[in-house]
Parts: sequence; C-alpha cells; structure tokens
Amino acid sequence: MAITEIIFWFLSALAVISAIMVVLSKSPVHSVLWLIAVFFAISGHYVLLNAQFIAIVNIIVYAGAIMVLFLFVLMLMNLNKETEPQKNLWMKLTGVVSGGCLLIILISLVRQATEIKGKIAVTKTGDIGLIKVLGKELFSSYVVPFEISSVLFLSAMIGAVVIGKKD
Amino acid sequence: MPERAELGVMNAIIFSALIGVVMMLGGIVIKSNAGIKLLAIILLFILLGSHLAEYYDLFNIHIQTHGMLAKSRFGMFFNTIIISLTLLYVLLSGDEIVKVGTYGAEYFALIFFSLCGATILSSYNNLLMLFLGVEIMTIPLFVLTSSEKKNLKSNEAGLKYFLMGSFSTGILLMGIALYYGGTGLFAIEASKAANEAQQAFRILLPLGLLFIFISLSFKVSAAPFHFWTPDVYDGAPSVFTSFMATIVKTAGFIAFIKLFELRSVDMGYSWKILLPLIIILTLLAGNITAVFQQSVKRMLAYSSIAHAGFMLFALYNPNDFGKQGIMLYTVAYSLATIGTFAVLTKMKDYTYEGYNGLAKTKPVLAATNTIFILSLAGIPLTAGFFAKYYMLASALKESTSNLWLVIVAVLFAAVSVYYYFRVIQAMYFKDGNAETTEIKPFFKTLLIIIAALIIVIGLMPSLLLDLFYA
Amino acid sequence: MLSLETITNNINNWLNNHVSSTWATIIEMLIVGLLVIGLFAMLGLILVLMERKVSAFMQIRVGPNRVGFKGSLQTLADTLKLVLKEGLTPKGADKFLFNLAPYVVMCAAMLILAPIAFAKNFQIWDINIGVLYISAISSISVIGILMAGWASNNKYSLLGAMRSGAQIVSYELSAGFSVLCIVILTGSLQISDIINAQQNGWFIFKGHIPAIISFIIFIIAVTAETNRAPFDLAEAESELTAGFHTEYSGMKFALFFLAEYVNIFVVCAIGAILFFGGWMPLHIGNWQGFNQVMDYIPSSLWFILKVFGLIFLIMWFRWTFPRLRVDQLLNLEWKYLLPLSLVNLLLMTVVAIMGWHF
Repeated sequence: MAITEIIFWFLSALAVISAIMVVLSKSPVHSVLWLIAVFFAISGHYVLLNAQFIAIVNIIVYAGAIMVLFLFVLMLMNLNKETEPQKNLWMKLTGVVSGGCLLIILISLVRQATEIKGKIAVTKTGDIGLIKVLGKELFSSYVVPFEISSVLFLSAMIGAVVIGKKD
Repeated sequence: MPERAELGVMNAIIFSALIGVVMMLGGIVIKSNAGIKLLAIILLFILLGSHLAEYYDLFNIHIQTHGMLAKSRFGMFFNTIIISLTLLYVLLSGDEIVKVGTYGAEYFALIFFSLCGATILSSYNNLLMLFLGVEIMTIPLFVLTSSEKKNLKSNEAGLKYFLMGSFSTGILLMGIALYYGGTGLFAIEASKAANEAQQAFRILLPLGLLFIFISLSFKVSAAPFHFWTPDVYDGAPSVFTSFMATIVKTAGFIAFIKLFELRSVDMGYSWKILLPLIIILTLLAGNITAVFQQSVKRMLAYSSIAHAGFMLFALYNPNDFGKQGIMLYTVAYSLATIGTFAVLTKMKDYTYEGYNGLAKTKPVLAATNTIFILSLAGIPLTAGFFAKYYMLASALKESTSNLWLVIVAVLFAAVSVYYYFRVIQAMYFKDGNAETTEIKPFFKTLLIIIAALIIVIGLMPSLLLDLFYA
Repeated sequence: MLSLETITNNINNWLNNHVSSTWATIIEMLIVGLLVIGLFAMLGLILVLMERKVSAFMQIRVGPNRVGFKGSLQTLADTLKLVLKEGLTPKGADKFLFNLAPYVVMCAAMLILAPIAFAKNFQIWDINIGVLYISAISSISVIGILMAGWASNNKYSLLGAMRSGAQIVSYELSAGFSVLCIVILTGSLQISDIINAQQNGWFIFKGHIPAIISFIIFIIAVTAETNRAPFDLAEAESELTAGFHTEYSGMKFALFFLAEYVNIFVVCAIGAILFFGGWMPLHIGNWQGFNQVMDYIPSSLWFILKVFGLIFLIMWFRWTFPRLRVDQLLNLEWKYLLPLSLVNLLLMTVVAIMGWHF
C-alpha cells in the first residue's frame, strides 16, 4: 500500500470514530473535543486532495475559532454528566426513528448510484484547492456573492452591538 | 437582450445596502428620534427612486454578475412592491420603531439590510445567492426580535428564532451541497452539459431539493415547520412583527417560486404528494389554533401561518397565474397586516377584550381595522378576496383534480372568518373602553389611504396586475 | 561545502536507493520526529537557563552559578528533579483530559515547526500557505490550555484557562494582520518565497514605516499569545496561583513549561523569518562585495542569531514591564492594536501598490 492510501484509511477511520464519539459522549466538553478531532481528520483529507488552503481554513475557522467558542461557553456553564437533562423515552424513540429514516434514504441513494462504486479520490493532484486558484475564482466568477456577504457580516456586527451593548 | 441579463445588477440591492450604512452612520450624528425617522424616510425615497429609475431604464449600475443574479420583470415588480410597502410601513410605524429601544438608527439600518436580503431573493439565479439572501434577510430579524431588552419574552423569542433559524440554515446548506452533488452546479437553471456530466450523482438532486424545500418552509413558517412562528411573532416588539410577517415572509415565497418553478420537475412524484400535504397541514395548523387564541397578536401570528398555506398554492402553477396571484397576495396580505399591526401597536391591551368598544372611542381606527380584517379574511370587495381567488384558481388551472384541495382551502377560509370576526365583534358590538396611546391625524390619514388601497385593488385587481405587464 | 542542505539530500537519496519509497518516507518521518524532540529538549535546557541569566543580568545579580560551569547544568538538574517527582491527578478531575492536555499543547508547538526554515533549504514541509498554517496551528494550543484548565476541576485553573483563551484569541488578530502586511509585500504565503524575497534586504528595511509598525505590533501580539509577562495574566501568581497549570506537577508540569519556551522560540523564529529574512544573510541591495562577505557566515547561524536576538527582546520585556490588568489587556488589543493594525495594513497596501518600498 502506498503511503497516501495508509494515511487515507487512517484519517477516514479517525473521522468516523470521532464523529460517533461526538454523539456518544455523555459530557458536552468531550463531544466538542471529539468534534475537533473530526475537523482535523477532515483537514487531513483535504491535504491529501492537495487542497491545503481549504484544509488550513477548516482548522482556523472550525477547530480554532468556533470550537474554542463552544468550549468557552460549555466550560463557563460547567455542563457535565450530572447536569445533562434526562430525555424521556418517547423523545429518544422518535429521534431514533426519524434519524433512521434519513439514514435509510441516504443508504438507498448511495446504493442506487452504482457509478460511484470502486472509485477512489485522486490524491496529490489538482489545483482547485490551492490559494491562487481559489483567489482568482473568488474575485472573478464569485465576486458578487463575495461582496454581498459583506452586507451579511455588517448586519451581524450591528446586531451584536445592538444586543450586547448596555442601554 | 442577453447581455443585459448578464450585466444586470439591481439598483435595489446596492442602494438598500448603502442606505443601511448611511442610516447606521447617521445615527452617530442625529440624536433626536424625529430626525432619525425623517432620515429613514428620505433614504427609503432615495431607494424607491433608484429602483424605479432602473425599472424605467433611466439609470442602472452595471456590474458583471457572472450569472449570479438574473433580472426579471417579476423580480423587479416584486421589489417595487416591497420597497413601497417598507416605505408605507416606516411612515406608519416609524415612531414606534424608534421607541423600542435606544438604537433607533440601528433598527432602521437592520430593516434596510433585511430589505437588501429580500431584494436578493427576488433576483437570485444561483443557490449561493439564495443562501446569502436568506441569511441577510433573517439575521437582522434575530436582532430586531430581541431588541426589547427588558422584556423577557422578547429575549426568549429572539433566541428561539435564532436557534430555529440557524438550524434551518444548516438544512438549507445541506440541501445546497446535495444539489451541487447532483448537478455539479450552483445555478438554478439546468445546464445540459453539466447535468450529463453528473449523471452518476443525479440521484442526489431530489434529496437536495427536498432539504431546500424544508428549509424554506421553515422560513415562511409552513407546517410542520411553523412552531417558532407564534412565539417569535408574539414575543417580538409588535412593530417588528409587522415587518417580519409581511415583507420578509413574502420575500421567502418569492425565493420559493424562483427555485421551484424551474426545479419542481426534478423532485418527480414526491413533489405531487409533498406540496398538497404541506398546504393542508399549514392551513390546518394555522386556522385551527388561531381559533383558540385570546390575544389578537397571537391570533395574527397563527393567521399568518394560515396565509402561508394559501400562498403555497402559487407553487402549483408558478409560471403565470400563480405569479400574478402571489403578487396580488403580497400586496393584499401585506397592506392588511401592516395596517392591523399598526392599529395593534397603538392598543394598550392586546387581547380581544382590549378592543372592546373601539368603535365608540376611535371610530376611524375601528373602521379601517375592520377593512383590514375583512381583507385578511378574504371577503369580496377587498383585495384579500382576489388574492385568495387567484391562488386557488392557479391550482385549478394546473389540473382540475386539485378540486378537493381547493374545497379544503375554502373551508379553512370559512373557519378563519370566525376568529377574524371576533375582533370586529369586539370593536363594534361589545361595551368597553378600549384604551389606545396617542394617535396623530397623519397616522389616521395613512390608515385611511391603506384601507382605500385595499378596496380599490379589491374592486379592480387589474390595476395592479396591469402594472406587472406594463 | 558541508551544509544542512547537502546532508538531508544525501540521506534522502541513500534511503530511496536502498528501500521502497513508502519505507523511505516513514524512516524520514521518524528521523524528523526524533530531531524535533531533540530540538525541544535542547531548547528547553538553553532557554530556561537563558531566562534565568537574563533576569539576573536585569536585576544585577549572578543567577544560577553552582551546578556545572557557571550554573550551565542548572536546568538539567531541575529537569531531573521534575522527572523524579510524582505526577498527581487531583480528585474530581477529568483524568483523560487532564493527562491529555499537556501533550496537546506540546503537539501544537511541534506542528508549528513544520514550515519553519532553519537554514537554507532545510525545512520540514514547505507548504504553500506556510504563514496561514502557522496561525492555524497556533490557535490549537488554546484548546489544550482550555482542556487543562477545565479538566483540573479547580477554579484557578479554569479562570486562568479562560483568560489565556481570551488573550490568545484576541491577540491572534493583530498578529495575523501584521503577518499579512509582509504577505502583501511578497505576494505569497509560502515561507521559502517570503525568505527569498528578502534577497536584497530584509523586510524590516524594505518595507520601512509600515513594516516597522507591524513588527512592533507583532512582537506585542506574540508576547501576549505566549502568555508571557507583561501579559501573563493567565498564570498571575498573585491572583490565580499558577493559572491553568495550578494542579499539574512532575513531568506534566514540565511539558507545559517546555511548551511555553518552545512557543517563544517558534514565534521568534516566525518574526525572524518575516521581518529579518530568516536564514538570509544581511544583504544590502546589489552591493556584491558586501553581500558575498556576509554569505560566508552559514545560513543556520544567521537564523539562530536572529531568533535568539528576538528571544532576548521578549525576555527583556518580561523583566522590565509590570503586569497588565485584564481590562487593560483587552482594551489594548481591541481599542488600540486592532485599529492600528488595520490602518497599517491599508498603509502597507498603498505602499505596495505605489511601489514606495525598496
């Protein structure tokens, strides 16, 4: 097996196991930490696909910023096993049923898409994820959404000030 | 003119964002509430002017949009309507907006940003723009909902709205991702070459569309995704509820129509089951629960869910009749809702009892409010009647097998008459001393104008619809 | 000429000739790992001693002077003591996270070393977005610190971790902006490109005013990011005992201690690369004679000298400035440094577009 393949399987296993652990962990802090592990594994996949920029942005934004905020809030509230609300059995059951329905749909979709079978991602080639290509794309084809998103951020900032500032 | 479509960027998008910034900065200079309100009105006139200038090909900012936005008569006409409605809304309730908290200028700025999102939704041609439009439209609303900081209900409503909104945005993004997986495109128009290249993954497309459908149903509060609506509409300051229930909601429907007039085919048979199901659930949830409400504000929140059910009929036949219908519905429903909420904000007590004897103390308010309510109920001679008529007719035009659905809708409309008439009954036939805050003559004049508009459109809907084709 | 570059190339060739490429990669990874760990140990020993000597020099005392020649083996003795001590885990602590945290912090510090060029063509991974990579990984150490603070089940630890987190997250912005100033001059995020662009003069000279401003901001920001005095609120002894590592003892404490010094080394290395040309010798324009004389000094020596110069600067801060309060710390960042660095970024853009740099 080539080294990239080994890494691929390792990262995939890490991502899946961590994702399962996010759901299974009793303590929210553990869940968040497992989620960070998922993000790292996914970033590893991006690196394998030669999309270094996306990999790094994934880490900066998710693992570095959003998850740290999550941790902050969770740690300040000091949530742990004892404070977790006890859900009633029916709620759990409906959750399982509706989640299972989605799972069935997704599985049936993948089963129908026979052309995907036996194909593996091409690693170490392609320049889609490189910063130069992304930058050019962002400032040509996608310049309108890029600029318009500034309105979104501005309104969010104004909103944060309006809500957060003392009267 | 193909290159026009390629180059067209709506003045409305640019100017509504710009006036939002101007408004925000204006708040630093202008301290008085009256000044802020005046600035907002002037800015809205500028926005309307710039938009009309584009509408009549006088002045247009050209930017290469790379097919992200598409200019259509439908979208332009809708923009004209919502900008005018916003103007009307600000004229009517501007005083109440600045009174909500200490950040008058910022509230207006947020309203303008939200308007910017609505204008994007009327012209998007790409799912990225759909996402941005939805977000730009709703994020200011989270803030406006919780702007009454001392009121715990307002805070709760804001948080609830935020959580639900971000959850539905997550579903929207998931849908967009699956759509992209299915077609290899973000564009809503089907490109043949790209579609063929993605045949293997085409199976993902219906699922993606389903997710987008669910998320947009969230935004327009269609059942079974409507649970946030009563609490949020009830908890938010009444002035902002009025904005949310009208301009924002109708913009959500425009987004719906733009996507699904092209793409409902791809959902295949499930679309045929899904749409009637959602419509019936929405009508049921809205109308039946509205009957049991004691507060007029909460009743209006549920009734807005019911109206969403009617507006969903436009999706049956979005090409021609439905589009006219949704325009008419937008105008009729928004005018009436803005009017009723304007009256509501003046009331001291939001329950039905609070309206007791309003006809004696404030006859003008009671009379105009009656017309608004009649229009909401869809009584003939008001705009609401033709709005509902067009909606149901569009479903029948698509196929006569929809007759059963139309009958169900008419039955629910009859139910709605019951709870709407309770307000009229309270105003005219019950004794009491309805207390209101101070009412200016200008406010009364505006109410009369809105009521007149509703009746004029109710008598001659062609006046409005001819403008659509003019 | 024997240089680090030729040595690494020879090893690579030899391995590829004798074993399959997969094994060659694995062996090379192992070698790099061992080298990094060795570097860490060395850095720990040297920097701790240096800190003590510098502080002694600032306060006009002798400093450690018993163990070894003029106290040179003092840190070794201290390390031995820490290794032999018992590692306690407090009752009620989250054992797994408590034990994991120091390793997370260490791993984050190690990962940052990847794109740093220690000498000419001597670099672990020349990733094409090296600068971004550094800022991404440096934000990871926050997670380790938060973990440590929370898992200790101690209010001092939690408060220290919170302060540290807030501090790192805030000051990262300014550090990022000052890095971006240099990126504007280079037009590349790759470390090797940045260094090569300084062939005819270091950026601190080439970029003149905006570069100097961004260097000052950078030094302030990284001092805060490494939680060192005058920004050491996270472990303010007088208020929080020892901040997030209050409950740690023995080897786990040593790891935190080591990570702090490695982080100082790393940020100083980044500063040296961005503003002082990394391993690039002091060149003045196209003055051939002078440049060639400078080239005779090995590139690794240049790098080490620059880094230790900056480390000395940061140590100097520690022993001369009083500690800030929390509100002062956050005000400094959000009200002064951030606007300043934004304006500076704009200034640098204007300078770069107009070509007003050398």
